[in-house]
Amino acid sequence: MKIIVLIKQVLDPAGILVRRDKEKMFINREEYIVGPDSKAALEAGLRLKDAGGAEVIALSMGKPRAEDALREALAMGCDAAYLLSDDAFNQADITVTASVLAAAIQRLGGADLIVAGRESGDTGAGQIGSRLAEALDYAQVTDVHALAGEQGAIQATRRWGSGYAAVRAALPAVVTVAPEAFPARYAHGAGIMNAYREWQVTTWNAADLGLGEAALKPLLTFRGESFPPPLPVGEQLRGAPASVAHELITALELQKVIG
Amino acid sequence: MDFSFPKEYQLFRRMVRDFAEDEVRPLAKAVDREHRVPFETVKKAAALGLMGVPFPQKYGGMGGGEMGYCIMMEELGRICTSTATVIGAHTGIAAMSIYLDGTEEQKQKFLVPLASGRLIGAFGLTEAQAGSDAAAIKTTAVRDGNHFVINGAKVFITNGDIAGIMTVMAVTDPSLGAYGGITAFIVETDTPGFSIGSLENKMGIRGSSTAECVFQDVRVPKENVLGQFGAGFLTFMKSLDIGRASLGAACLGGAQAALEGCMEWTMAREQFGVPVATKQSVYFMIADMAAEIEALRSMIYRTAWLIDTHQPHIKEAAICKLYGSEVASRCVHKAVQIHGALGYSRDYWVERAYRDARIAEIFEGTNEIQRVVLASNLFRPYGMRIPS
Amino acid sequence: MDFGYLDSWIEEQVGREVVEQVGTGYRNIWVVAETIDGTLAPATLQTMGQARDMADQIGVYVFGVLPGEQAAPLAQEMIAYGADEVLVAGTPTLNEYQPETYTKALADLVNQYRPEILLLAATALGNDLAPRLAQRLNTGLISHCVKVEIDMSERLLLGTFRILGGEMYNTLACPEARPQMATLQPGYFRTPNQDAYRSGEVQEVEVDLSGAVGRLTWANLDAAVDKPAVPLRKAKIVVSAGRGLGDAEGFALAEQLAAALGGVIAGTRGALDEGWIAEDQVVGIGGESVAPDLYVACGLSGDIHHYFGIRNSKLVVAINADEKAPIMKVANYAVVGDARQILPAILQALTR
Repeated sequence: MKIIVLIKQVLDPAGILVRRDKEKMFINREEYIVGPDSKAALEAGLRLKDAGGAEVIALSMGKPRAEDALREALAMGCDAAYLLSDDAFNQADITVTASVLAAAIQRLGGADLIVAGRESGDTGAGQIGSRLAEALDYAQVTDVHALAGEQGAIQATRRWGSGYAAVRAALPAVVTVAPEAFPARYAHGAGIMNAYREWQVTTWNAADLGLGEAALKPLLTFRGESFPPPLPVGEQLRGAPASVAHELITALELQKVIG
Repeated sequence: MDFSFPKEYQLFRRMVRDFAEDEVRPLAKAVDREHRVPFETVKKAAALGLMGVPFPQKYGGMGGGEMGYCIMMEELGRICTSTATVIGAHTGIAAMSIYLDGTEEQKQKFLVPLASGRLIGAFGLTEAQAGSDAAAIKTTAVRDGNHFVINGAKVFITNGDIAGIMTVMAVTDPSLGAYGGITAFIVETDTPGFSIGSLENKMGIRGSSTAECVFQDVRVPKENVLGQFGAGFLTFMKSLDIGRASLGAACLGGAQAALEGCMEWTMAREQFGVPVATKQSVYFMIADMAAEIEALRSMIYRTAWLIDTHQPHIKEAAICKLYGSEVASRCVHKAVQIHGALGYSRDYWVERAYRDARIAEIFEGTNEIQRVVLASNLFRPYGMRIPS
Repeated sequence: MDFGYLDSWIEEQVGREVVEQVGTGYRNIWVVAETIDGTLAPATLQTMGQARDMADQIGVYVFGVLPGEQAAPLAQEMIAYGADEVLVAGTPTLNEYQPETYTKALADLVNQYRPEILLLAATALGNDLAPRLAQRLNTGLISHCVKVEIDMSERLLLGTFRILGGEMYNTLACPEARPQMATLQPGYFRTPNQDAYRSGEVQEVEVDLSGAVGRLTWANLDAAVDKPAVPLRKAKIVVSAGRGLGDAEGFALAEQLAAALGGVIAGTRGALDEGWIAEDQVVGIGGESVAPDLYVACGLSGDIHHYFGIRNSKLVVAINADEKAPIMKVANYAVVGDARQILPAILQALTR
């Protein structure tokens, strides 16, 4: 099986502090990592490779520093890595990203399976899987929690309604995976050394992908950032158990920690 | 001059840190309490190539050199000194001695299983009457046809009871003394005649085992002579010289953990209405810790660079061990003080760090010996011999 | 003769309409409905409510779209919830969700009717379908919106969504491509009231699904997954028990809450001494440090030693009869009461 895993390099959220009361985001440690959703996608692809007979190619669109993310993918066990980087991609929205990735996948001759994280973690659009499936005319299964390969198809257990559904998709297909369902392996030490000393990352720019200005024009524009209100501290809830319980659950649902 | 770590080492450090946080930290308290070696960790480390970090990949190692090895020891030392000790004794002196002085056949036969973590290694030097005075060993190795027969007892051997391969120093010619009369041997511990005596009941690093190893007519083939016959002392000293740098790295990790813990605690703990971090008596201690740690960090990695670029490094490695162990001791001492009564509680990690750090000034060459090594290397260029 | 002056009068008369039609040619707000067990999904109703509000704002119609033969009877209900017109694509092929057939059917309808805004709920189906549809239509999609509004000066849909685990929001718009698509995150929008007296049109539409082949075989709609075990220090929801729970029965309530919330049970050293939890379930300075999204402290006083282990929690709820207990001052929500009475009430409220 020829598998292409899409990865995205993101700012390590552990180095980001959001002060809702100050309505500011502080980056106290600027470190870039392979996002957890991408790590899960790599793990899902590599598990299929472990099961036998799969080739895994890592693909990422990003700034030149994203090369480190691709080297980490190689260290984890990918067979090849491609970086799509160009200043012309800097203003990309999700539609441009889809165009760039689709062009790269086509240049790679397509694949049997494309694996991506369900969202990219930091801005989390969660669209790239389905968009690529449409652009490439592949089958699609999103929000997958279990994945197995067979001849010409994949078996997936995906989130459906309020539970899960088992579905079989004919290849070629695009799959997006839930990060919590695929805890990622560690990269082997020798792989880490070799990823920088022996193995190569191929870089393609807009011209290599045949993408002109029209294809790189974003359809979405940024209209601002905002902050949820700060959490209360020491806010007391009193009263009869039933009413207090109701009040508490409403508050927690509004804060999106439950429900 | 670029003082940043090359990218592969940055990625490696992140991997080891994640491994240490997720796999090592959960066991740290238990291995100390239960006085057991974390074999499950050793197995997982082996699977990731962490049991042979400095050795070339052709010998089953990771190809990380001394730089990679010091990074791993720092990250492990930051979480669990016991785990660092088990892996450190295995890699840094036992397997290292075979790497430095072994023949190609010996490397294939013995280094590969050690570097890949299939077997654990130990370094058999110390005896009851021979600690700092390493040349006073009495274990003998007598030639018998194509074999040597080893008789004697080693004490305080880290990993002694769990090792599959041990490098052993024995007297081959009592008349020649340290230079010429001592030979290093590679001993497979399943050889008949090898047995374990008692296990030490230690103050700290209780997650590592320290054993008495008894040799009763242990026959080793002559092919197992490590390094030049009669030059065993040099073979072992070479290994110890390099091992010092990574021991310093483990001390760096321990000191770093003390600093991080103190900062977290002092920011949260309030007395007299304010976080204690704002009290000068406290933050002066923390500032001192930070200063020493930064100085030690530069020392460790510069020494690793000297080793990896095959430059002279004996003085620097001695400083790494000497300074590193004392920095770690000072930092954990301050950590206990800063945590107050909590620092004295066996439920919290601080007192374990305090007990664990103490050994660093003693083993792998006491700090007194480090001073001898340092001084003699300082004065040698001037023709002055410093006696031990 | 120069009749140019008449042209400008004609332009003024039809002014607004000309601008709208010549400008984009797209009008009205569409909601693609999702059904569960023969009824409209709650998330669809929430989306309808939002569509209705926005349509009233800009003075356009709300269209409901019902895919599938089995959804056809719900057309009147969609009208009652705010639709002005309902398009029923009642072919049985659409009874089963297939990305390809749904995309074809909806894209054809969109190209025929040209809605300016197309909304779906951000459910499993919506999240799967909307981006494929947006890609087919070559338009922008703002997904997982927690808020949508119209910028009246530009007649643009503004979609706001969570980033950084919900600590921040970003807002996007789709200035030119049409329709402007958005998926709405369930639970963030109110469900409108049903008005049985509302009237609207129901139109049965034919969809040509030739060339659209579904490639999924749905084997089991009620499957289960083995979730990988999550260690306490990585758990997202932790319910913690203290001595204030009294006895094993009280502790069991905390355990039930942990299960109901999909979280992990933990406790104080006191709970350990009582034999309710194991050593590796102790939270606090002598035990584990946790950093969950939600930490519920039941019947524990929470001094500094405990607090130190939970200080990285996003949201802390404390339930304690003593309002002066240390935990009550640091918790975000401090429920004053006996945990043995509060917990059953919470469990009951959760099942509703």
